[in-house]
Amino acid sequence: MFYLTRMLGKPVVDATGETIGTIHDVAITTREVFPRVTSLAFLGPDKTPFMLSWRKYVARIDDDQVTLNAPRSELRFSYLQPDEILLARDLLNKQIVDTQGMKVVRVNDLKLSESRNQLRLLGAEVGIRGILRGLHPGLERAANRIAKLFGHELPENLIAWNYMDLLDRDLSQVKLSVTHKRLHELHPADVADVLEQLGPSQRAKVFEHLDNAQAAEAISELEDELQADVIDDLGDQRASDILEEMDPDDAADIIGDLPYDKAETLLRLMGVREARAIRSLLGYREKTAGGIMTPEVTTVTEEMTVGEVIEHLRAGAASNESIYYIYVTDDDGTLTGVISLRDLIVSPADTPVSEIAERELFTVGPDDDQEAVAEMMSKYDLLALPVVDETGHILGMVTVDDALEVMEEESAEDLELATGRRSGLDVTGIWQWVSRNGWLAVWGALFLTAAAIARAYPHLAEPIFLGLLVAAVIMRLAEDVAAHTLSRVIESQTGEARTPVARRLINDGLAGAVLGGAIGVTAFAVLEVWGGTPPLVAALFRASSLPYQAWVGIALGVAALVVTLSGTLLGVAAEARARDGKRSPQMAVTAVLIVIGVVAFFAVLTPVVVDSRVFA
Amino acid sequence: MPSQTDKRKKTGLFALLGVIGPGIIAASAGNDSGGISTYSAAGARYGYTMLWMMLAMTPSFAIVQEMAGRMGAVTGKGFAALIRERFGVRPTFVAMMLLLTSNAATTVAEFAGIAAAMELFGVSKYVSVPIAAISVWLLVIRGSYRNVEKTLLALSSVFVTYVVAAFLARPDWGVVARSFVVPRIVPTQAFVALAIGLTGTTIAPWMQFLVQSNIVDKGTSIKEWRLARWDVIVGAITANVIACFIIITTATVLHPAGIEVTSAGEAARALAPLAGPYAELLFAIGLLSASVLAAAVLPLTASYAICEAFGFEAGLDRSWAEAPAFNGIYTFVMFVGAAFILLPGLNLISIMLISQVVNGVLLPFILIFMMVIINDRRIMGRYANNRVDNTLAWATIVVVISLTVALLAMTLLGIG
Repeated sequence: MFYLTRMLGKPVVDATGETIGTIHDVAITTREVFPRVTSLAFLGPDKTPFMLSWRKYVARIDDDQVTLNAPRSELRFSYLQPDEILLARDLLNKQIVDTQGMKVVRVNDLKLSESRNQLRLLGAEVGIRGILRGLHPGLERAANRIAKLFGHELPENLIAWNYMDLLDRDLSQVKLSVTHKRLHELHPADVADVLEQLGPSQRAKVFEHLDNAQAAEAISELEDELQADVIDDLGDQRASDILEEMDPDDAADIIGDLPYDKAETLLRLMGVREARAIRSLLGYREKTAGGIMTPEVTTVTEEMTVGEVIEHLRAGAASNESIYYIYVTDDDGTLTGVISLRDLIVSPADTPVSEIAERELFTVGPDDDQEAVAEMMSKYDLLALPVVDETGHILGMVTVDDALEVMEEESAEDLELATGRRSGLDVTGIWQWVSRNGWLAVWGALFLTAAAIARAYPHLAEPIFLGLLVAAVIMRLAEDVAAHTLSRVIESQTGEARTPVARRLINDGLAGAVLGGAIGVTAFAVLEVWGGTPPLVAALFRASSLPYQAWVGIALGVAALVVTLSGTLLGVAAEARARDGKRSPQMAVTAVLIVIGVVAFFAVLTPVVVDSRVFA
Repeated sequence: MPSQTDKRKKTGLFALLGVIGPGIIAASAGNDSGGISTYSAAGARYGYTMLWMMLAMTPSFAIVQEMAGRMGAVTGKGFAALIRERFGVRPTFVAMMLLLTSNAATTVAEFAGIAAAMELFGVSKYVSVPIAAISVWLLVIRGSYRNVEKTLLALSSVFVTYVVAAFLARPDWGVVARSFVVPRIVPTQAFVALAIGLTGTTIAPWMQFLVQSNIVDKGTSIKEWRLARWDVIVGAITANVIACFIIITTATVLHPAGIEVTSAGEAARALAPLAGPYAELLFAIGLLSASVLAAAVLPLTASYAICEAFGFEAGLDRSWAEAPAFNGIYTFVMFVGAAFILLPGLNLISIMLISQVVNGVLLPFILIFMMVIINDRRIMGRYANNRVDNTLAWATIVVVISLTVALLAMTLLGIG
């Protein structure tokens, strides 16, 4: 047994016994399962590299040296052949893919065996033994002895040449043995497993060896988060070719996750038909019927017979996602009826479609909310629902499995709304954190400013901090009302009957009054417990018959009521915007409510304070 | 389902934000408990004297970080993998032992930071450190530390308040400015040790591993690197500017009062001009968050690097059976770091300072590995170092080694 790490640096001795250099590397041919060593690379004097044919010149190899069969002067040096691999340069310390274990591993040593003066590569050592041996052979022996004490043997983890795929060196130019398993020859699901263990640049190298169909399948098998990344890293033409191979809805999902420019470039590079299929899916907003439908619909015309329809299905339409409903269209593609698979099977072959078609159709528009679509399907027990445009042309259909997914998604979303957590925001974590806690940050900044002012003008300190407490209450309230309002906007789009505005104002007004009362009383109580009246505040409220604590309580209560009612009105406005497809950002609604709250607060207090000054 | 519209808007500013991140995060994470204590000690003990070193170190720091990032962008491989492939098993073992020592020492400092911060709240270290160690470990193994990472980072950014505090402390800006450009040296062992610590905490060895692996994980190509390098450079400069303000604040507030930082409470007093009686609270929150964050990141960095170098399976989603080495190393580093702090009679601030000196002593050796790799044209092609990079990096190496030798000589000969 020879180990490469032990061989490197050992002397090379010629036939006369003169040392002519030290072993630098050995080369193997790539065509065999246990490849032969074909060349010896050694460093001569002054570190000049030389290469010799192993078969011609090596007489003997032992643990101490390599002995040549010719004197130095008769050596003919050679060059590295294209199908040769240098073990130390290309394999040792490098990462390889173990195509049997589906793992990415690092080569710690290479094990060779000698028979009749021929050295063959047994395999790459990827286990701990190779590392220990590389550090010092004594270490390996010691570790082995300790392991034996516990009744184990330190396992030797060898990977044979035919199960190695090199990541750094491209083997595609090299002839390999028939049994040599390269990564791209594995099942796409296995390729995906290995891809997930690699970094972005190594992944790109693997993709160079996959054909488009393999790549498409492997990408489909990858975890969702990786898919867009992988496509994004590939060259444009290649990425587009691969997407073309995929099912249109899979491809649309990935393209939807790409930056706009990249998505547009890829679509332009595709075949017209494929691009149109994907675009037709991308054009629809998320969470609408258009966003979840499949464009693959089986359509037949009124004039066809049952036999012809079955023939049509056999001829290729059967590969569509669902064939339980077959839609009937007239000459210009307008949906006129539907036949079920059951109708087809029980009817004689010569029955015309027009006779068995069901004319009472449930249809949805592409912009209908997905939740409404799902509810409709569950209410009428439908397996699929056609999506038609305003002129009645069929665009696609929503199948029952998509509807189930919608229901799951919506219930998760309701949970998020209920718990006040948002997900799916695709901005980096910091921005997400900021946007979620933005008002806290604003308040913090106010606090800091206030602290600085209070330092400079100590007599202002108490009113300022009082103001901050009030500001905190109003901000918090505005945030809550905004969240509540917008969750109502979301509900309103499911198509349930709307409550009249006046009714809502009364309901919310009552709730606001109770809330305002509670806040006012609490504020009053807190200020009472805090005790005393800051001199400046006392001066302001001098002429008032009520103590300042009461006025602050009243003003806060009124502000709470006003904010709640404004929330209701803003909600009505937001619903109208939502019907036009516009979104109302929560941040903006909150900001408006804060301004309204602050104005209301001062609207109550200012007359009291101003009056007191006038009469002072 | 992530919304499509959000992603598509990623042009212009968002394209820049997309590449910005790793550098700034790595650099701000560098202002951890070791950093805060070292800068505070430097200012408190020597006033503005050491400011010129910060100015001199900023280009080196920026360039070293840029080099690490560039290696990642060109090769698509981590620093540890490059060391292994360029040097083989034995030198790699040495490099990994250096990194492990440096990271373990810094982890000890982080737990010292946690203990010191909690002592400001009146919690004994025998309570806080075991709880912190177990919580951080759980956060890491359950993979949820990424969720709290940003929160901790945001909280630890309270150290930005040193910038405000420095202005409120009303230093003599003329003197400050002069200190930046006039080099002064105090020939004592303590000064030299602190200078090494200052280098070690500013250009910490582990940060180079972290920045490179961030670039690799993002799949930043060498083309994108033109833009992304500014993130790294700006991050490095920002971190150093904040460090300078910490020194200025402590030098203005603590130095004239003759307060030497021997406890977290004394270090916190530097924030008194800003926060008054709440200085301790502010300081404790910052120190706690920065320490918890780094206590999670440091053992992980060591673990990832070692596994990468030796080809062990790694990843937070791997079980103990699948990746024993990976899980074993960070668990070991974390709990040894925590256990060390539980030894009775330790001065927590000294621990933090010493750990940074260890970093400083080890730094040049890690940098030598980096210099060999980044000048190897077989690996870096035309993106190998230019002369300016090389001059600055080698100067850093030579200066830090000389400082270490000087410290050793002074200790042996009993000078200073």
